[in-house]
Amino acid sequence: MLPRWITGFYLVYLAIPIVLLVVGSFGHLWLNTVLPTGFTMQWYLDVAADPSFRRAFVASLAVAAISCAACVALGLPLAYAIFRARSPAVRSLSRVLYQLPVALPPLVLAFGFILVFSSDTLPWLGSIWLLAAGHVVLGLPYFLQTVVADMQRLGLDALEDAADSLGSSGWQRFGYVVVPSLRQSILAGLIIVAALSLGEFQFSNLVAGFLNRTYPVVLLQAFYGATGFACAATVVLLLLALAAAVAGGVVSGGTARMKVAAA
Amino acid sequence: MNEARQDAVSAVALDRVSFRYPGSAAGVQEVSLDIAPGELVVCIGPSGCGKTTLLRIIAGFLKPDSGTIRLKGNDVGTLPTRSRECGIVFQSYALFPHMRVWENVAYPLRVRGVALHERRKRALAMLDQVGLGGFAERLPAQLSGGQQQRVALGRALVFEPHALLLDEPLSALDAATRMTMRDEVRRIQRQHDIASLLITHDQDEALSLADRVIVMRDGRIVQDAPPLAIYDTPADDFVANFVGRANLIDGTAAGPDAVDTPLGRLATRAHGRPPGTAVRLLVRPERIELVRVAGGENVLAARAARDRFFGASRRVEAAVGTGRLEIETNARDTIEYVRIPRDAIQFLHHP
Repeated sequence: MLPRWITGFYLVYLAIPIVLLVVGSFGHLWLNTVLPTGFTMQWYLDVAADPSFRRAFVASLAVAAISCAACVALGLPLAYAIFRARSPAVRSLSRVLYQLPVALPPLVLAFGFILVFSSDTLPWLGSIWLLAAGHVVLGLPYFLQTVVADMQRLGLDALEDAADSLGSSGWQRFGYVVVPSLRQSILAGLIIVAALSLGEFQFSNLVAGFLNRTYPVVLLQAFYGATGFACAATVVLLLLALAAAVAGGVVSGGTARMKVAAA
Repeated sequence: MNEARQDAVSAVALDRVSFRYPGSAAGVQEVSLDIAPGELVVCIGPSGCGKTTLLRIIAGFLKPDSGTIRLKGNDVGTLPTRSRECGIVFQSYALFPHMRVWENVAYPLRVRGVALHERRKRALAMLDQVGLGGFAERLPAQLSGGQQQRVALGRALVFEPHALLLDEPLSALDAATRMTMRDEVRRIQRQHDIASLLITHDQDEALSLADRVIVMRDGRIVQDAPPLAIYDTPADDFVANFVGRANLIDGTAAGPDAVDTPLGRLATRAHGRPPGTAVRLLVRPERIELVRVAGGENVLAARAARDRFFGASRRVEAAVGTGRLEIETNARDTIEYVRIPRDAIQFLHHP
């Protein structure tokens, strides 16, 4: 009985801020009361009409997309190299190295970026590309972790040996066997990277220029204004993150269901 | 191996092949081996003896330091794995988890550019042969171990390879399935009449499946002979111990047909060694007979030191003279006397 109560309490604790945000976003007036009064859609319309929010929304999507693409382009070969490393010493060392950014506060990363990229030779501070570069540093460890673990679980080396013995060229092996057998973990890794990128504040706040601020950075400004507007703007971010997770779940779950249905 | 085939070109021929793993002493040394078309050779040895290395060399995963490898008469030393046309069944099956059963079997045809319709037809026909008709649309994860093994076998044969290489194919299966699959592997191998090399550490598997058994130790082949010869006339005490159970008895020749041993003086076949020569004898436990009365040739008093019952058989360790003897019997009696028939005593080379 007790575990149930604890679980229930924890779920309520988790849900309350979100519920309050949603309630607040539809509330007309919320001053010194437990709950807001009146119902309105106006705050959402205001957020949608706000040019800085619109721009930030697009910028966030762009940064997330670039981060994801870069993680696949960098992470897949890296994961493969780590998995295939002959010596166990190299494997464990690389594991420590690629996990390092997890321990790195985004603030430290941001200061580093500012030092390097505010100079005249590398004046890229504030560009979308630089934001994405930072998000790749923050997200790559999770991507690598997911994909390398999957390679080990699948016994990818044996699958590759099998593909070789059955007559595959290098590209056939990569395209027919390696990537498709890893697609679940690649996708799972990308969902983490996208969610991290969409919600990241510390690093983006310091590195983003005025023109390319991401959504969470702009969101902070909203809390200096009307409560309803701030709630509505936050719910938008929440939905965005949720959409990424659901999209991932649908795609990966969908393929799994298809397979089961086929059987 | 039948007579007609001895003249034919070997399907697989290794000539003094050596390979050493960098930075270690492990590998294979000077291994020569011929597999005739349609022949099933089983390679057996303890772990680390080089048997899997040997398979990986033939498959092209490892490049030998020296020696030549021929498949159907062609030197394949410089060919990569994918051009060697060897069907391989892996210990872990290595089925592609994202492909359905028929797609797995059709894969070798797909990379060879066979059209979809044709390769599906051939994959389904192969699945029928390995007893998996009706499972074509499943995913590997939805099959039992034995069924996965059948898929792996079908996939390795569907492109009509020069040779079939099986790397401990049955070791991941439970005991009952292993027996069934042993017969299935044999049936399918016969049906395709394909030269095959099967790696195992299971002596029952080796003796019951093979046309010929090769026993490996420390990277070398210590014996290459049909199963009966491996069991009945092992090349040395290692083979005697590794294949089947063995009583190895050291003694000295006491006459032209007698040997003094810790068990007592044993009458043997005429061996012709001068008296005093050190000899090593092999007696298989199941060849020793239990008798009720003393007297007679090679009848010795015995006292059971350890007595274990296995259902169909009973294994007794008995103290005999100043030595010990392992006896396998289905008799239920108390052990009092044992008899070792002359023809159950073999001479091994004394090390």
